[in-house]
Amino acid sequence: MATIEVDGKTIEVNEEGFLARPEEWTEETAKLLAKAEEGLDELTAEHWAVVTFIRAYYLEKNLAPMVRKMCQATGFPLMKIYDLFPSGPAKGACKVAGLPKPDGCV
Amino acid sequence: MKRRRPGPSGVVEAPLNATAQAKAKDEGRPSVADGRLQTYEPGDNVRRFLELLSSRVSRPLAVSLTACVHCGLCAESCHYFLARPDDPTMTPVWKADQIRRIFKRHVDWTGRVAPWWIKAGSPRNDEDLNRLKNVVFGTCSACRRCTYNCPMGVDTGLLVRFTRGLLTELGVVPEGVFNVSRDQWETGNQMAVSEQDYLETLEWMRDDVRTELGDDSVEIPIDKDGCDVLYTINPREIKFDPRSIAQAAKIFHLAGESWTMPKWGWDQTNFGLFSGDDNLGAFVARNVYEAAERLRAKRIVISECGHGYRSTRWEGYTWAGYDQKLPTESVVVTLKRYIEEGRITVDPSKNPDAVTFHDSCNIARSGDLVEEPREVLRRVCSDFREMFPNRRENFCCTGGGGLLSMAEYRPLRLEVGKIKADQLRATGAKLVCTMCHNCIDGLNDLIKHYKLPMRVVQVLELVSNALVLPGKGA
Amino acid sequence: MSGFLKILENEVQIAALIFMAIVYILRLAWIFRFRTRRDRTFAAGRESTGAGYSLMNIAMPGAMESTRKRPGFYAQFVIFHLGVAAAIAGTLIIPYAPGLFERRPSVLLFQAVVAAAFVVGIIRLVRRLTNPVLRSVSSPDDYFSLVLLIVWFAAAVLAMPNQPGKGEGPLIVYFGLTAFFLVYVPFSKICHYLYYPFTRYYLGRSLGHRGAFPPSTKRRVAPVHGEERT
Repeated sequence: MATIEVDGKTIEVNEEGFLARPEEWTEETAKLLAKAEEGLDELTAEHWAVVTFIRAYYLEKNLAPMVRKMCQATGFPLMKIYDLFPSGPAKGACKVAGLPKPDGCV
Repeated sequence: MKRRRPGPSGVVEAPLNATAQAKAKDEGRPSVADGRLQTYEPGDNVRRFLELLSSRVSRPLAVSLTACVHCGLCAESCHYFLARPDDPTMTPVWKADQIRRIFKRHVDWTGRVAPWWIKAGSPRNDEDLNRLKNVVFGTCSACRRCTYNCPMGVDTGLLVRFTRGLLTELGVVPEGVFNVSRDQWETGNQMAVSEQDYLETLEWMRDDVRTELGDDSVEIPIDKDGCDVLYTINPREIKFDPRSIAQAAKIFHLAGESWTMPKWGWDQTNFGLFSGDDNLGAFVARNVYEAAERLRAKRIVISECGHGYRSTRWEGYTWAGYDQKLPTESVVVTLKRYIEEGRITVDPSKNPDAVTFHDSCNIARSGDLVEEPREVLRRVCSDFREMFPNRRENFCCTGGGGLLSMAEYRPLRLEVGKIKADQLRATGAKLVCTMCHNCIDGLNDLIKHYKLPMRVVQVLELVSNALVLPGKGA
Repeated sequence: MSGFLKILENEVQIAALIFMAIVYILRLAWIFRFRTRRDRTFAAGRESTGAGYSLMNIAMPGAMESTRKRPGFYAQFVIFHLGVAAAIAGTLIIPYAPGLFERRPSVLLFQAVVAAAFVVGIIRLVRRLTNPVLRSVSSPDDYFSLVLLIVWFAAAVLAMPNQPGKGEGPLIVYFGLTAFFLVYVPFSKICHYLYYPFTRYYLGRSLGHRGAFPPSTKRRVAPVHGEERT
C-alpha cells in the first residue's frame, strides 16, 4: 500500500495506484485520482459520464464493465474513451471511478 | 497496512494473501471444487513440495540444476540486477539457487550426504515456501535473457517456471495468479469475458469497420466451417481495447481472406505459461486446436501477443500432448504474406513518425520471429529505427511473466524498468511498436513512470494506418 | 625414483581413474533416468544445427553478450582450462612418455601454460572472495575446488621438470593431488564438463527447433507456414 498526495490531501492506494478501499470513493477522490494518476487537472462532463456509469455498474455487479458497455451507455466511440482517459478504460477510467484493479495482465 | 519498503527484502517478505482463495472456496467455485485449481491449506506443504519436485523434474531441468558453476556471468544480463547492481539477490544465479539448493538437498547426491558443503538446503516451513514464491513470481519475468548468456547453457527462465508450477500446485501463489487462473479455467479466457460479451463486441467492431470502409459486406464470421484462417485473440482486446480486432477485420476483408473466429476456443493467451501449471496450459491450448479441428480451418492465426504466441504456437502442443496438424502463425506473419503477395497495398508515408521495435521475450528468445515484424515495419513506416540491444538480446519490458497481474511486485518492476526506459529514450522515437499485449502495458507503465514522450503501438495498427484502400489511389 | 613415487605415478592414478569412470557412469545413468518430452510442433529451424551451435558456445565468445562484454573474463577461462589440460597431460607424460619433458623447450612451454593458469586461478579466487554476487552464491565446494586447482597448478609447475633425484616433494604433491582430484571431482562442481554437453544440447535442440539457434539476421528459406519437420 502507498499513499498519494494531491492538493494537500492524501489518499491511500495500492501498488498499482488503484484506490485501496474502493468503498471509500467519493467525487472528491475521483478528482484527486484523475489529477495524480492521469494528469487530468479537471474532469469535464464527458469524464463524469464515463465515471458515473462505471461506478454504478461496479456497485451493481461487483465487476469492471467492458469497454463496449462504457461506449454504449455514454454513446461515445471507443477512441473518445482513450482521448478522455490516456491510460485507457481499465487503468484510467476504472481507476478514477475508484474500482479495484481489474484482474489479469493489464 | 504499512507502506512497503522498495527492495528485495520487501519483495521477498511479501505475505501470502489467500483471501481470494478462501472466497473461492466458500463460494464453491467450480475450478476449486473439482480440484483443477489448488488452494492453499496450512499443513505439510513442504513435504508435498519436495515430492512434487522429485517427481516432476525433467532431464533438461535436472541438468540445468546441476550444471551451474557459479561463475556469475549471468548477473549482468538481467535487468533486475543491472538496475540494482548492489543487490546480489537480483541475479539469475541467486534466484536459480533458491530452487537449486532444494534439488541438491533432496534429489542430487552430494547434497544429501553433506548439504552444507555445496550450500544445499530445504524450505523449513510455509513461510519459506512463500519467500520462494516471492522470488520466482516477483523478482523475475522469466525472460530467458540469462539463459542466452550462460556459458553452460543453464536455463534459469525455465527453472523459474518450473518452480512456479510446484508452488501453484500448493496454492502458494500471488493473489493475481490465482484469480486469473480461476477465470481461465472456468470461462476459457483470462478475463472472464462471457460469450455474449464476446459476440457483441465482435459485432460492434464489425459495424465500425463497415462504417469506416463504407462497405456492408464486411463480416466477422463466427464458427464458419472450412475457412482458411481461424483467428484467435487476447481477451484484453474484447474487454478493454477492441481496436485491434477492427484493424484485423479490416485487413482480412481487404485481403479477401476466408476467415472465422470460433465461439469457444478463441483465447490464444495462456496463463499456464505464467503459473507453471501445465494442466491449465493444456486446457487452454487444446481449446484453440480443437476449435480449428471442429471448424476444419486450414491455419491458426494468433493475434499479437507474446506469451500467447509462445503458448499456442509452441508450448501448448507439448502441454496438451497434441501433435500439431495445422500451420500456426502469428498475425504479423500473415500480414507479411499479404504485403509480399500484394493482397493489401501499403504506403509507408502514412506512418511518418519515428518508430522503434521492441522484441518481446516470448517471441524472440523463446520463439522464431525476429526479422518478420521488421520486414513488415519497413514497408509500413517511413522512419524505422532499431533500439540497442535488439532482437534476441533485447531487454524485457518488465511486464513479462504475468507480472502485470501481480500488483504487489509493481514497485520493484518499475524500478528495474529503468534499463528499458533508458533504451527507449536513446532511440529518440515517438512510437514503440511491439507484438505483445503485455509489452504494451509494461511499456506504457514505464513511459508513464519515466515520463517518456512516446506512445506504444502494435503492428496491426501501423499496417492498418498504412493501408491504401482500393479505388483511392496511392 | 622411490618405489612409493612409482606406484603413485602409475597404479594409484589408474585406480583413481577407474573409480572416477565408474562414478561417472553411475552419474550418467542418473541423468538418463529423468525423462524428456517430445516436441510435437512443426519446426521453424533445424534441431541438429541448433544443438551444434549451442555446443560450440565455449569456442564462440562473440555469440553471447556476456562474453562479448567481458573479453578478459573469457580469456581467463581459456587460459585456465588450457592449464587444466596441460596439467592433466603432465600426469600422463611423466610416467608414460617422460622423454617429452627431457627437452627443455617442451617443459618450459607446459610450465608457462600452467603458470599462467595458476595466475588466473589466483585472480578468480580473489574475485570469488570479494565480489558480492559471487559471495552470495558460493559454497565451500566452490572455494575448495578453486584452491585445490591453484595448489595443483603450482605443484605441476614445480614437478614438470621431472627430476625426482633433486627431491620428490613436488612430484608427490602433484600426483597425490591428481589422485585426490580424480576421486573428488564427480562429487563436486568440477565435473561441470560432464553436464555441459547435456545442457547445451537440450537448449540448442529446443531453440534450434524454434529457429532461434543459430541466430541469423537473414531469415533462411524456411516456409512461412512452418511446415518443415525435422
